[in-house]
Amino acid sequence: MPDLVLWAVLTVFAIDVVMLVGLIILKAVHRVRMRRDAERRTQYLTLLSRHLTYENAVDPIPSNAAEDEAFLDAVIDLRYTIAGSEIERLSEIATTYDLVSRQEGLLRKRFGGLRRLRAAVSLAELGNEASAPILMEHLDDSDDEIRVQSARGLARMGYTPAIDRIVGRLGEESDWVRARFGDALAEFGEDASAPLMAFVIVNHADGDTSAIVQAIRTLAAIGDYSVGPRIAQVLDLSSNPEVQIAAAGALGGVGGGFAIPSLIDALASSDWRVRAQAATSIGEVGLAENVDDLVASLRDRAWWVRRNSAAALVRLPGGVEALYRALSSVDPFARDAAAEALEDSGELAKAVTNHREQRATRDEARLLRHMRGSGVPGF
Amino acid sequence: MQAYLIFLGIRSALVLRNSWFLHRFGRFWEMLASDSTPPISIVIPAYNEAQGIVDSIRSMSIVRYPRFEIVVADDGSTDETLDRMIEAFDLEIVQIPYRPDIATAPIKAIYRGHSPVDITVVQKENGGRADALNAGVNAARYPYVLCTDADVILDADCLLASMRKVVEDRVRTVAVGGNIRPLNGSRVELGHLVEASVPKSMIPRMQSLEYVRTFLASRPAWSSLEALPLVSGAFGIWKRSAMVEVGGFTPGHFGEDMDLTMKLHRYHLEKGIPYRISYDPSAVIWTEVPETARVLRRQRIRWHRGLMSVVSDFRALTFKRRYGKLGIVTWPGMVLFEYLAPIVEFVGWIVIPTAFLLGALNTASLLALLALAFGIGLLNSLLALMLDEAFGYFNSPRDTSRLLVIALIENLGLRQMTVAWRIRAIFGGKSTMTWGNMERRGVGSLAD
Amino acid sequence: MATKYRILLADDSKVVTAVLVAALEKEGFEVESAADGDSAYELGRSESFDLAILDQLMPGLLGLEIIKKWHEEGVVLPVIVLSAIKDESTAVESIELGAEDFVRKPFRIPELVARIRRRLHS
Repeated sequence: MPDLVLWAVLTVFAIDVVMLVGLIILKAVHRVRMRRDAERRTQYLTLLSRHLTYENAVDPIPSNAAEDEAFLDAVIDLRYTIAGSEIERLSEIATTYDLVSRQEGLLRKRFGGLRRLRAAVSLAELGNEASAPILMEHLDDSDDEIRVQSARGLARMGYTPAIDRIVGRLGEESDWVRARFGDALAEFGEDASAPLMAFVIVNHADGDTSAIVQAIRTLAAIGDYSVGPRIAQVLDLSSNPEVQIAAAGALGGVGGGFAIPSLIDALASSDWRVRAQAATSIGEVGLAENVDDLVASLRDRAWWVRRNSAAALVRLPGGVEALYRALSSVDPFARDAAAEALEDSGELAKAVTNHREQRATRDEARLLRHMRGSGVPGF
Repeated sequence: MQAYLIFLGIRSALVLRNSWFLHRFGRFWEMLASDSTPPISIVIPAYNEAQGIVDSIRSMSIVRYPRFEIVVADDGSTDETLDRMIEAFDLEIVQIPYRPDIATAPIKAIYRGHSPVDITVVQKENGGRADALNAGVNAARYPYVLCTDADVILDADCLLASMRKVVEDRVRTVAVGGNIRPLNGSRVELGHLVEASVPKSMIPRMQSLEYVRTFLASRPAWSSLEALPLVSGAFGIWKRSAMVEVGGFTPGHFGEDMDLTMKLHRYHLEKGIPYRISYDPSAVIWTEVPETARVLRRQRIRWHRGLMSVVSDFRALTFKRRYGKLGIVTWPGMVLFEYLAPIVEFVGWIVIPTAFLLGALNTASLLALLALAFGIGLLNSLLALMLDEAFGYFNSPRDTSRLLVIALIENLGLRQMTVAWRIRAIFGGKSTMTWGNMERRGVGSLAD
Repeated sequence: MATKYRILLADDSKVVTAVLVAALEKEGFEVESAADGDSAYELGRSESFDLAILDQLMPGLLGLEIIKKWHEEGVVLPVIVLSAIKDESTAVESIELGAEDFVRKPFRIPELVARIRRRLHS
């Protein structure tokens, strides 16, 4: 028995010593490496800056720079900092020094998940158009994050053939990947509108809800007005509340006046979330003719609908006046909702200042009375 | 007993490695700074914080996040806490909708301001930290709330890091915990952490090591096993609707954060609703930890009593299949290794020397056992410190060596002290059931 | 040929500093760089420059604060503010406080150089 214990003790201590030594070495190495990396990175930055600025820079870039992570970091940092024609020059440099091909090689390797991911990220950030084919390949990679980075890179390059592939994958991906695909598609801009709209129309009745919702959200982010009527149709036809909410939301941005009829219908939905979203979107569309519709919603039984309606009124011409009128509503909930929206939009602060300077309007005095609960001298 | 911690530590290592890598190379911050990121309400309870409340709010308002608001629940302060806030942020009293989704002590008034960010202050009658948080959550406008404390320093990216977990899986994620580090000894200017360092005196330094062990070597593993028993009160992101469903924080509870976490687990498991409670090691915040043994003692006793309440309230979970991993693995683990651990250790201290004195145990065996315990404990600490290297906060060799020293001498009294306090908590009865003044909540429990 | 124009460049990002130093030196300007707000403020006070380029968000004093302090102490130094996209409101505020111009990041090098030349020659 004691022998076993003794062995156990010795083993544990041996591991302890190893770890202790390991910790010390790790720390030392880490510090040295970080410092040297930072130095080299600064050197490369200076070097690259000169190459970007001067036609024929005197100091050459070392031919094996691509193997140095610091060089990669420097190039990527620059890519984020400058805009305009220097980016092309930077891309040229990246290609000339085999930076891009090296990363592509790394991505192609069978093993080494983290290194591959790093390569994918780098290719995405370098944004070199020659990398488009390899990134297209890796839209089907088994690693989630690599797919995300591939989509991201393709979007940054504006490589439109990727759009259909990415849209096609929306139904199969997890939330996170789908959201990032959405971002990538949004970056493609209007070129992605048609494929996305087609995806929604074909699938909204029986497809994966989250995918449809993401597609609609992305359409809203892209902001292409031509999809407005189609989305309004989806809102009218769908019986899935999540899809309705997404569609109503999108219409705020891309629907314009033509969306109003569908939004008014949605304002009467049996699902409070749909009503709430419709109210917000009506506010975004911003037409004076909808003031009365929203004023009616101030008396909705759901808190969020009242809230959103009040906030939406602020955005309509004549809406603020309507809110002030609502302060005298018989419905206490409507009064409160109106008061909150007025406060949020700065009316209360204005009223306070005006009151202090003895020139508050009747409406402002009423608002102050509502907030402070007691008599406010004045009119 | 320590051995299970090693298992956790190794698993955490893998989780952290992935997380660190993505953090460094993923540049996810851009992605998160987009329209699809959900807005958050930062909820802070405040009781007699006149001294620092304005600075705290100002420092929190610079956190990097696209859309958020700050909600302060003034829990019946008797000093100028409220006045200072009104003056500093131009707050106006408002009469606006307030949803008492969670029952709380009566609300007296609500104030609103918009600079530097949207601020809402709920003035209410005193009801304790949990009650104040509940009121703040009631007044919160956004679907997610961060419950924290006024004196906490938030890392600029902590919201982005933790909300990433939410965005990854918006439907299922109901809570996310963060990484807490002791602030003592670090340089803070204008509400920003300028330089992080290990505290100078022994008591907070020991806590530094404890926190590193918990938050780097323990929580990541729990989270990946989907059985995180505790999202700390000092930094917890909660989905508002889920919180409301389970009645928010339980007022007067000593371990209200663990209690809420377990309530969420139980609710979703019982109803068969898929859910996820997560932890992100990159969501870092800094907070003051007790400097003296006396204050530390009160804190630990309070935590342990909180733990006891939770264990007792949730004992129905133990070993029941329907509670899945939580019921079969985590919960019994929690009970055994945290609740009963001090008793076991204490008994050990008595039994082993007694056996030795009675001759049942020879010297060699005694030394061997002690050495084994020491060695494994040290292993845990070393593992945690190596994991900490990945984050680079304790950059200077001097800081690491300080922690190493603590790891070595911990067992010469410091650890025994905490065990003794917890024993006291278990058998202490009424006298341990006080709050002191409404104070720090800390991390609730450290898997130790 | 007149003496070279001296420019004070303050930005905590090594990248921005490297790029701007190269570009400005090519134009024949003399550049002194500072990596944080406090040193930038000191440099501006103690040495004479023809123009200052300040990053809005730096460790130590913020760009805004530096402009204010220089103004209070009577340091006459035209300032161009570099602003990341998020800082729009502070950029506008710095103009109100007396900065000459602001440039958003990421920036086009030729455009920034042109603005600098315009400031210097006016």
